[in-house]
Amino acid sequence: MTGRHGIDRRSVLTSAALGGATIVGASALGGLDADAAFAAPMPSLDPAVSRSSFVDGRVSRIKGSTLDVVESDGTHRLVRLTNATSVWKLETVTAEAVETGDGLYARGVEMPDGSVAADAVWVNIVNLYVTVRGIERSRLHLSHGRNTLVGRIVAKRTTASFRGGALTSDLSQLKIGHHAQVLGAWRPADDSVDIARISVGH
Amino acid sequence: MACGSTSLWAGETSWFCCGSSWGPCGSTGTGACGTCQSGKNMAAWPNLTAACWSVTDPAACGENMPRRGCGSVVKVKHQCSGAAVCVTLADCGPNTQMWCGEQTCCNGACRTHRVIDLTPAAFSAIGSLSSGLLPVYIYE
Repeated sequence: MTGRHGIDRRSVLTSAALGGATIVGASALGGLDADAAFAAPMPSLDPAVSRSSFVDGRVSRIKGSTLDVVESDGTHRLVRLTNATSVWKLETVTAEAVETGDGLYARGVEMPDGSVAADAVWVNIVNLYVTVRGIERSRLHLSHGRNTLVGRIVAKRTTASFRGGALTSDLSQLKIGHHAQVLGAWRPADDSVDIARISVGH
Repeated sequence: MACGSTSLWAGETSWFCCGSSWGPCGSTGTGACGTCQSGKNMAAWPNLTAACWSVTDPAACGENMPRRGCGSVVKVKHQCSGAAVCVTLADCGPNTQMWCGEQTCCNGACRTHRVIDLTPAAFSAIGSLSSGLLPVYIYE
């Protein structure tokens, strides 16, 4: 796709990855808008390059700009980050925020060596249907299926939507027993979730 | 089954995880059809079975989509970007009746009610996972 930046994003990815340069954060090409990058669907990218690829797993090792990701069946996939890669971890972050043990979904282009040059990486992202079981100032006690879960309210980050209304930082309408969907970032260290958005249904 | 171009429905799509995965998604199971995997292009449909319909109750929002069973293939297209992905139905959902009145818009045009849920692989093929919701057209 040739976007408003005038850069063919997929070409940037492939040339950066094939060139073998460690360019995370270098931004030699100038900044690419992170939100636009996340929203850019793969099918609209340059069709001359092979089909898109998707990786779902946990980071077992980080070497330079390459993430060694272990999928649920034990398969290792190498995910290569370039300066065209957008990284989300509760919010848009730099590649340095990715840690060993993190879970991730990566979207990108499969390279000849089997690695994936990622255009977008969502780290620890979850989107869970929950029921509110308890409310504290800085956290919510939630049930998710048969499991319990702590949802952390993050200052200046957590927003809520009630019955389809606009997003608000005011969580005072939240009640015990509410059914909701939580979009957030899982924290591997304690199994809690930092809440980006909680959407309360009827 | 083919991924066709006959209009089937329209509305919002969200995303959900299934199958063996990490974090809270590790306990979600493989869905109503027993085949659902986050890393594959799959979806949940509110009228997968009569039992499913009784739970999701889309009619409460005025949505009466037809029944499509496990293994059915539909195409989901982003309303504005035109990006599309073909998905296999593998679970029951979303719980449409919980979100009556909710709408998601792009370029000034909105779609109402959650009518399909996509796996992360499928959702990320047409938009950003961090958006949580997308307005879509569905074809078969």
